[in-house]
Amino acid sequence: MSATGIGASVLRKEDRRFLAGRGNYVADIAAANEVALAFVRSPVAHGRIRSIVKPDGAEHLVFAADDLDGVAPMRAPSKLPGYKPADFPALATGKVRFVGETVAACVGATRAEAEDLAQLVEVEYEELAPAVDMLAARAPGAPLVHEAWGDNIALATRTEGDMAAVAARAAHTVTREFRMSRQAMVPMEGRAVLAEWNSRMDQLIVHTATQVPHLIRAGLALFLGLEQRQVRVIAPDVGGGFGLKTYVQPEELVACWYAMKSGRPARWISDRREHLIADANCREHHYIVTAHADADGRILGLEGEVTVDAGAYSIYPFTNCLEAAMAGGNLPGPYAIEAYGVRTWTVVTNKPPLVPYRGVARPGVAFAMEMLLDAVAREVGREPHEVRMINMVPESAMPYTNIAKKTFDSGDHPGAVARAAGMIDVASVRERQARGEPDGRLIGLGFGSYVEQAAHGTSVFASWGVQMVPGYEQAGAKLTPDGGLELRVGVQSHGQGMETTLAQVASEVLGIDPGNVSVIHGDTGLTPYSTGTYASRSIVMAGGAVSRACKVLVERMKTIGGHLLQCEPDEIRVADGRVMGPAGDLPFSEIGRVWYLNPEELPADVDTDGVEAVVGYRPEPDHGTFSYSTHAAVIALDPDTGAVEVLDYIVVEDCGTMVNPMVVSGQVYGGAAQGIGTALYEESPFDESGQPLASTFADYHLPGAPEVPAFRLAHMVTPSPHTEHGIKGMGEGSTIPTPAVIGNAVNDALKRYGAEVNETPISPRRILAAIAASQGEAA
Amino acid sequence: MTEISLTINGAPVTASVEPRTSLADFVRDGQRLTGTHLGCEHGVCGACTVEIDGEPMRSCITYAVSCDGAAVTTIEGFDDDAAMEDLRQAFTENHGLQCGYCTPGMLVTARDIVRRLPDADEKRVRLELSGNLCRCTGYVGIVRAILSVLEKRRG
Repeated sequence: MSATGIGASVLRKEDRRFLAGRGNYVADIAAANEVALAFVRSPVAHGRIRSIVKPDGAEHLVFAADDLDGVAPMRAPSKLPGYKPADFPALATGKVRFVGETVAACVGATRAEAEDLAQLVEVEYEELAPAVDMLAARAPGAPLVHEAWGDNIALATRTEGDMAAVAARAAHTVTREFRMSRQAMVPMEGRAVLAEWNSRMDQLIVHTATQVPHLIRAGLALFLGLEQRQVRVIAPDVGGGFGLKTYVQPEELVACWYAMKSGRPARWISDRREHLIADANCREHHYIVTAHADADGRILGLEGEVTVDAGAYSIYPFTNCLEAAMAGGNLPGPYAIEAYGVRTWTVVTNKPPLVPYRGVARPGVAFAMEMLLDAVAREVGREPHEVRMINMVPESAMPYTNIAKKTFDSGDHPGAVARAAGMIDVASVRERQARGEPDGRLIGLGFGSYVEQAAHGTSVFASWGVQMVPGYEQAGAKLTPDGGLELRVGVQSHGQGMETTLAQVASEVLGIDPGNVSVIHGDTGLTPYSTGTYASRSIVMAGGAVSRACKVLVERMKTIGGHLLQCEPDEIRVADGRVMGPAGDLPFSEIGRVWYLNPEELPADVDTDGVEAVVGYRPEPDHGTFSYSTHAAVIALDPDTGAVEVLDYIVVEDCGTMVNPMVVSGQVYGGAAQGIGTALYEESPFDESGQPLASTFADYHLPGAPEVPAFRLAHMVTPSPHTEHGIKGMGEGSTIPTPAVIGNAVNDALKRYGAEVNETPISPRRILAAIAASQGEAA
Repeated sequence: MTEISLTINGAPVTASVEPRTSLADFVRDGQRLTGTHLGCEHGVCGACTVEIDGEPMRSCITYAVSCDGAAVTTIEGFDDDAAMEDLRQAFTENHGLQCGYCTPGMLVTARDIVRRLPDADEKRVRLELSGNLCRCTGYVGIVRAILSVLEKRRG
């Protein structure tokens, strides 16, 4: 392993500017003659707009749907049969369908002045009964979010399994109901856009906080009636995304429209309240799951009913049905199960739209499956980690195609469980639990396992019916005249450290110091097309493409180097940033000099493509990589207050080859902390009239440093057999099992009461209610 | 509008500000010091933390008019500060930042911790960080970085 290539914990190149306070986020960019936008938002969850009265004298600064000439409602089609698209208007047309929906846009010299104006706009609403709870909304007779549909079901799917055969053999049939609450994603930087029309380029230039610049470009062009060449999307430094920043936003469209109409740069910087109530939310799943198990706890058959509360509208481009599709495909987890049947419903309600959050459907899936598994373990009287191990696909069976037709590429799943059990020391936890705590708190032990399909390829996305199917990822690699390297990738790094890790991939191939590599990303004007950064795909796809592009550069440099060193190209070795022949070697700068500045030194039959290459890559087969992990936690639960303290938290994970172990660990820690938030704190509740009840950080609780445990982490390394360098995607993974791990630990602590908590966040109120219910008391 | 005079990063500044203008908006929009980040604008997340007269303060809920006569230091003003230099090095070595958005406020708070609490242990460091939210790192690298600087300063 080289000191700067794949496998080295190279310190991040991007840190210097962030530590100096010289990052460059959208809100940090000033444009001459710019204006700011603020939005009038619906105060009701469901209603008809009777009238909009613009303030006297400011009519030219206030815009409603009728004013948005040339702006089409956002439509995200799906090819899945029976899917009903729920068009998302930039400004509400006729009806409002959630509190916070954009009704009118106001323009001011500053954000404060635009907000002042927004307060003066008078909107009259005729309130309608809202559909708030997803199960009620699914039932016949519920208020209709989109009247023309006749119901609130955007998509229903059914996969039949042969349950009769396994049910007959099952010694135990265990059924549970689970709910994962609605959340906000809360990247520390909110959404932000600065749009301006550039006459020289005949182009709308949009700086926006996004993970997927090329997809935003496609959407903006589509809904604004422009050609894509007329839109350049630039994502500068982006302060976290987690999935939020993957859809075209109504405010983004309005800012672009106003910039085009007025000729002035238009800025919209969201505030935190707008994020919590009006941005797309996430999670909110309901499950009824049944396991048919033998006397040892081996699950023979699994049945599920999955309902996803998708909110009012479908986001572009990923639609509102991806979540349910993914839930249906992932419920069996890492387990070898004979029979599987699942029904899914994507239900619309009078809440903000849903967008996939880190882990997408899998945190909900794991919450249901992993907690059902522990319920089975309690039923058969075995340790939960043992029940996991006997149900898992063993390493000897890899590659393994599971009951949901996912082909796991490699890995030792039971080995990860065994290692986690050893690290947490199950026997001593059980002793401590039996002994009892001096302060009366109850000890609980929880496990959770998952397999994380990542970098889903063409065939997988095509099967989900979405429009934006990723194909071959491309990367550009260019040797500069002085021997440095520029990489161009269409993904976007917003915390993942790809300015460093992609440089490490180049370093692995070329031996170049990452300090001499620039990674150019997040700009549709400068980078090859890419669907962007989501689905834990970037280091697999862009990393693979960078590797391939650098290998092409190696061949090109060998040809030039062979001429300069008077040897055959295949005698040349490229390493340590040098081109080495049998009788001498040259630095890259010499190759650059000759190609760019002194081509007269080259023979006539030189490769005319030079020392710049754009190369495409996708793994074959392209079904995605499969990282996996087992987490284990010990908690102390106070039965009088319902408070939970996480005493110990173990992660054992395997994401194949690690490009930068420090960065991998950082992703694991960060994801697990978000999982702690889902498990114990974070919720966007709504009252029965559809009013959001968490609109500040006083109501929406994020885990801080005192609440997050000092994770203990161990890596296993099983390279993918299908990808360049054996890399697997892993950025989302550790959000997946955490809610289930904590839930299992809580229910383990509560087992003396026969009580279970099966809903996130596992708040003191829910714990006390579960204890009360177990004792026959009203909650 | 109210006229105020203060120092920002050691340089004297006199300006007219609206009574409602926050210090954060004043330094970002008025002074173009964009290292001070706005994460919640209601005093919880700590991204906007700056130093006012030697104390870490939330600039999003501090009015600019209340800073008349004050010495304000933003993240851009610590380039020659030894404790900050150690923290910056420790944050990069311990992977205490990912997206970088919480980082300026986190560093200002961290500097206060290492100067005020030389004997702080991990539990105390975590408690002291409760006013600064990070969504990326799980706080692991941040806590390690601060502990390493504390240890170095204890010599």
